[in-house]
Amino acid sequence: MYKVLEVKNITKIYKMYHSNIDRLKEIFTKKSYHKEFIANKNISFELYRGETLGIIGVNGAGKSTILKIIAGVIEPTSGQVLRHGRVTALLELGTGFNDQLSGRENIYMNGTLIGMSQKECREKEQDIIEFSELGDYIDEPIMTYSSGMKMRLAFSIAIFSEPQILIVDEALSVGDAHFAAKCTKALRERKEKNMSIIYVSHDLNSLKLLCDRAILLNAGEIATEGNVEDVVNTYNFLISKLNDSEDKMQIKNTKNNSFGTFDVEIQEVSIKGEKSNSDIISSGENTVITIDIYSKIDIENMTIGIMIRDKFGQDIFGTNTFHHNIPITFKAGKKHTCIFQMPLNIGSGKYSITTAVHSKDTHLEHCSHWLDNATEFEVAGIVGNQFVGLCRLEPSIKFEESLEE
Amino acid sequence: MKENLLLAFSFAKRDLYERYVGTGLGKFWFVLSPLVMIFIYSVIFSDFMKMKMNIVDNSYAYSIYLIPGLLAWTAFSNTIMRLNTSFFEKSSLIKKINVPMYTFQLAMVLSELFTFIISIILAVIFLLIINQPITLVFLWIIPLMLLQTIFAYGIGTIFSLFTPFFKDMKEIAPIIIQLWFWMTPIIYLSDMIKEKYPFLLKYNPFYYFVKQYQDIFLYSKTPELFYVIFVIVVPFISIAIAGTLYKKMVPTIKDII
Repeated sequence: MYKVLEVKNITKIYKMYHSNIDRLKEIFTKKSYHKEFIANKNISFELYRGETLGIIGVNGAGKSTILKIIAGVIEPTSGQVLRHGRVTALLELGTGFNDQLSGRENIYMNGTLIGMSQKECREKEQDIIEFSELGDYIDEPIMTYSSGMKMRLAFSIAIFSEPQILIVDEALSVGDAHFAAKCTKALRERKEKNMSIIYVSHDLNSLKLLCDRAILLNAGEIATEGNVEDVVNTYNFLISKLNDSEDKMQIKNTKNNSFGTFDVEIQEVSIKGEKSNSDIISSGENTVITIDIYSKIDIENMTIGIMIRDKFGQDIFGTNTFHHNIPITFKAGKKHTCIFQMPLNIGSGKYSITTAVHSKDTHLEHCSHWLDNATEFEVAGIVGNQFVGLCRLEPSIKFEESLEE
Repeated sequence: MKENLLLAFSFAKRDLYERYVGTGLGKFWFVLSPLVMIFIYSVIFSDFMKMKMNIVDNSYAYSIYLIPGLLAWTAFSNTIMRLNTSFFEKSSLIKKINVPMYTFQLAMVLSELFTFIISIILAVIFLLIINQPITLVFLWIIPLMLLQTIFAYGIGTIFSLFTPFFKDMKEIAPIIIQLWFWMTPIIYLSDMIKEKYPFLLKYNPFYYFVKQYQDIFLYSKTPELFYVIFVIVVPFISIAIAGTLYKKMVPTIKDII
């Protein structure tokens, strides 16, 4: 197969300086004044004629940097890019458009910028206008265009400049479904005519649809490369790991949100599944929440409440002794234990429990102790009938043949 | 390289076109602004203020002295000032499209050269109107203008390379340009400072240009050989320095704009 692009050991290091003066000093002297940020580390790949290569990665993985290096707008620190043909890059919307000029004039201007001759521009003008579906708007100045219209024009120019290599960086996400479909179709047609495409998107479906091969970038390096399906799976795994670490952080941050008068204090909260005997509980399992409370004063008519929250902090279920008509009386200097027992009919996931001791039905009047995220637990697996979602409603299901026609 | 030069020409055309697009008078503005300038300096200084020089026999003598110097300086300083901020002006383009910066800069220079040519043509027409003799020596103005433009391209590029590093340059450059203007005999005569501050003339490269314009306009005088050599050598030295710095600094500049 014929190679149209060879990316060889590209490394891009952004140097960070205290000031631009240090940066300038370093150009002319031998001394070093910088800290380094590695955006791309030793990236090599090849692109063949007629191939579509997808590049995915989380934000900050170095996708845009490598695209800019391939497009030639920034210089790599080391390594080499060999381009065998015209490279056109749709790096950002409205690249090189002049807002004052009309769409038609911008076809010429933008066309020239991406390497078309005046003659080529004239020949393609009609096709571009038709494809962009701008109609009469083509003679209006660009500043009156919506971002979708700009994108349509930019994309149309790019595709009719007939480059050997087209770089598309998330440009399609601005268009509506109709135009996105049209673009996908156009890209596929160009592919048949041996145009090579580098496609960057967070839209995994369009990636699977368009690409023959994919590269996953992570922290500036190629994490994996190959079949689109496999690479997307690795990417999903990467994201889930990222989400997990974020969850932990969230819970940690709010862990000590505890307030109140502390005349009655919640000392410990624990949760246990009856069967699992741990805080990993199956959905539907009978569960015991134990709250140990110490009181410094004699007080009557108090309320003990619990609230179960999911990992996003949404209230899933909450109740208290007031709603169950159980009056609570604390005695000074004594420990008390309150036990909530119930089948845990909620969906799988991670949850936290918030507990509180206060008077009346809410904690607004006299709040002795409010303890956020007193403990955490996880629901994993299901006892009984399978279900999806957060709450487990236990329906009875009937099925019978209809009597009428 | 050749492609980029052609691109520069088409950018320059576009630059000129964009300058007055949408204005009522359109292309007429290219003629109007130098025309107004010539009018001001001829009417105000020669008619109102009656400033006369006894150097040539013409009531417009001072205007004849003033106009070529001012027009040349205007073109020179405009070119430098535009180049000075060129990286900022074109940052959105060079960050997205693989066209070397010098192409955009050359386009700006060419566009300024075009307005310069128009203004000089108008100045020559002014000479015809006031019956100042025009001789073959005037042809030397053409290469002189080109050399001056090359010089401005060099100096402007050097300025532009440092501006992304120090934003202060945006403010400093106009001051340098203004000081330079007043240290050059454009408004006043070189004779006035020749004795007291000879170094101002000796070490001022632009003096060597302006002196030749003025001599040609006033006396149709053939320029001295030293002056001619100077204005040929210095622009190319400036371009060489600009080129060396450009190669060294542009990769870094692309990272910081």
